[in-house]
Amino acid sequence: MKFVYLLKKELKELLTLTTILTLVVSVVALIALGGVMGNVMEETTENADKITLCNKDSGSYSKAVIEALVTAGYEVNEIEISSDDYVEELNSKDISDVVIIPETFSSQIEDVLAGKTVEKDGEKVIAPVDVEYVTRMNSLSITGNADVGSTVALSAIEGAVKSVVYASKNMSVEEIKLIESPVNLVETTVVNNKQAKESSTLLSAYVMMTSMFVPIVVYILIIYSSQMIMNAVATEKIDKTLETLLSAPVSRLSVLSAKMIAATIVSAVYAVGFMVGYSYMMDGMTGSIAGAVDSSVISELGLKMSVGGYILLGAQMFLSLLITLAISLILGALAKDAKSSQSLLMPIMFMAMVPYMLSMFVDFKTLGALKWVMYAIPYTHTFMAQSNIILGDMTTYFGGLVYQIVMLAIFMTLAVRLFMSDKIFTISLDFGQKKNKYAAKKNKKA
Amino acid sequence: MANVLEVRELSKQYKKGVYASEKVSFSIGEGEIFALIGPNGAGKTTTIRMIATLLKATEGDAVVAGHSIITDPAGVRESITYLPDEAGAYKTMTGKQYLEFMAGIFAPDKEQAKIYIQRATDICGLGDRLGDKIGSYSRGMIRKLLLSRAVMSHPKLAILDEPTSGLDIINALEIRRMIKDLAREYKMSFLLSSHNMLEIEFVSDRVGIIAKGHLLEVGRPDELKEKHGVKNLEEVFERVVKDNEICISPEERA
Ligand SMILES: Nc1ncnc2c1ncn2[C@@H]1O[C@H](COP(=O)(O)OP(=O)(O)O)[C@@H](O)[C@H]1O
Ligand SMILES: [Mg+2]
Repeated sequence: MKFVYLLKKELKELLTLTTILTLVVSVVALIALGGVMGNVMEETTENADKITLCNKDSGSYSKAVIEALVTAGYEVNEIEISSDDYVEELNSKDISDVVIIPETFSSQIEDVLAGKTVEKDGEKVIAPVDVEYVTRMNSLSITGNADVGSTVALSAIEGAVKSVVYASKNMSVEEIKLIESPVNLVETTVVNNKQAKESSTLLSAYVMMTSMFVPIVVYILIIYSSQMIMNAVATEKIDKTLETLLSAPVSRLSVLSAKMIAATIVSAVYAVGFMVGYSYMMDGMTGSIAGAVDSSVISELGLKMSVGGYILLGAQMFLSLLITLAISLILGALAKDAKSSQSLLMPIMFMAMVPYMLSMFVDFKTLGALKWVMYAIPYTHTFMAQSNIILGDMTTYFGGLVYQIVMLAIFMTLAVRLFMSDKIFTISLDFGQKKNKYAAKKNKKA
Repeated sequence: MANVLEVRELSKQYKKGVYASEKVSFSIGEGEIFALIGPNGAGKTTTIRMIATLLKATEGDAVVAGHSIITDPAGVRESITYLPDEAGAYKTMTGKQYLEFMAGIFAPDKEQAKIYIQRATDICGLGDRLGDKIGSYSRGMIRKLLLSRAVMSHPKLAILDEPTSGLDIINALEIRRMIKDLAREYKMSFLLSSHNMLEIEFVSDRVGIIAKGHLLEVGRPDELKEKHGVKNLEEVFERVVKDNEICISPEERA
């Protein structure tokens, strides 16, 4: 019986308005995330049966393959590709991928049908038919690259070629066995304004691995520095050392600017330190991750960040930390006690968590109206920074940078105003105790 | 002799229409110890914070050593020190580091800072414990450290909000003795506050009785006791509050 009382008390203490609110917001955020992801995935699968194709072959077999694709239920959109400059071709036609049937296609099929073999690893095989696949890397997020792309193109064309081959001639079982896979997919990946002969699937696996770490670091730094600054301000207020300082013969501005500059220096050291450490880690990892991918292709495509890239990334990281600093100064000043200062961390946590989680899974640029909601959160831009820099979307990068500077100016002004007025001693906020205040008011009225 | 502090009809409203202190007027002479006494919520801290330039006065003014809190708050801060009630200190600093830091802020130069640190070290009586982290100090030790900090610069006016509250008898006695000695020896003026009306009469030259934001009566403790024909300040307070019920608006009485 006594245990029940104890248990009740403990539960009541743990289930405050703060913790319940945290739970509700988290659940809502996750449900929303699920909805967004569902939509994005649906779109990708919808697009999976659409094939953009350029037929350079004048022979009959390519036509047969295209017919087979249509019969198999694919929606084939035929276009004209005249040059090797795939960057230009994709841009001008506003498409993200294209299958190219080369001029030699029909003659190659004829070779297959004739049972012409080539040596491969000391064994005789029937040479597969070349098909080109060009794709553009649009995003570093998981669903952004879930464009079933080359896999679908390959299996579709393979199926079509097979049906053509089997239909045109009764090959012997031995001969069919020699056809390991009838199609050799020659892949080209376009990144930003560069192109290289490499599989986009391999490249995006590489890029995803390397871009995973920055958001984690950004998230940890935001939470860590906000906690650090908020605790510092809240303790000064609760211990009343702030009152002592502000009644001393120093200006309020110098007390505040000392705080801000110290926190800025610490933030800058963090940002630089993590950037340097991260770049070394990436250098070390490139070899092992790349594995299947040629590292020269990676730098050729600009998928490896340059020093300039690291500086740009560091700049947005630093801005995020400064915004965190300004908000934390304000929130810390609102704290009444140590417990309330913890619950005041909540807004920053959500502002960092939502774009962090989303940025891993979806490309914000595909979100439609929701995109602007995400862009309104200043941290979003830092979570997107690496993708914007690598994929060369400098408009979005600098737009985000300017927005972050504006937000920083706003929050800094608010923080300075708060510290320069006597509001710093009269204002206090506590999510957890709102309920109690309400109760007190009601009692008064009664 | 010019007064060190002159408070003129000082009022504060946190919320419009509700006075936390209303038209409070009193003065403190050189070397005088003045105590605001009244129960919790009477408006002592509010009044003190306005004089310490932390809160903006809604109406009225206070002049510290010729500096107005309204027009020259920086000048006021040059003339005062303030010890907030229930104040703490930076827990990760040692007592010595704390005194060095605060001396750096209050002293005009390094020479002066050294003198301040020496004074505070002598006054606080913490001895070797000054080398320990403040986090390991008892309440009494922190209060002594903070008090020594508040007087180390020999300010014209030291403002101490509830300097002995929460302390045991021995510590409270020591603090009271320190205040009295400093006032006598260095002609420092003190503005104290306390909700403990019995102990404050041993330390203060004059007291002001404050309730619900109104300063009801000011005088020497023996004077007040005689006037109301009672034995101690607590009873004086009871009388004064009863006599003044008419003055306090009916809304506030409810
Ligand atoms: N920051 C504040 N906001 C609103 N009301 C306040 C604030 N601080 C104090 N008060 C109110 O002002 C009155 C006087 O408080 P205070 O000056 O702290 O009294 P004391 O120090 O004598 O105990 C009280 O009714 C208190 O509730
Ligand atoms: Mg008080």
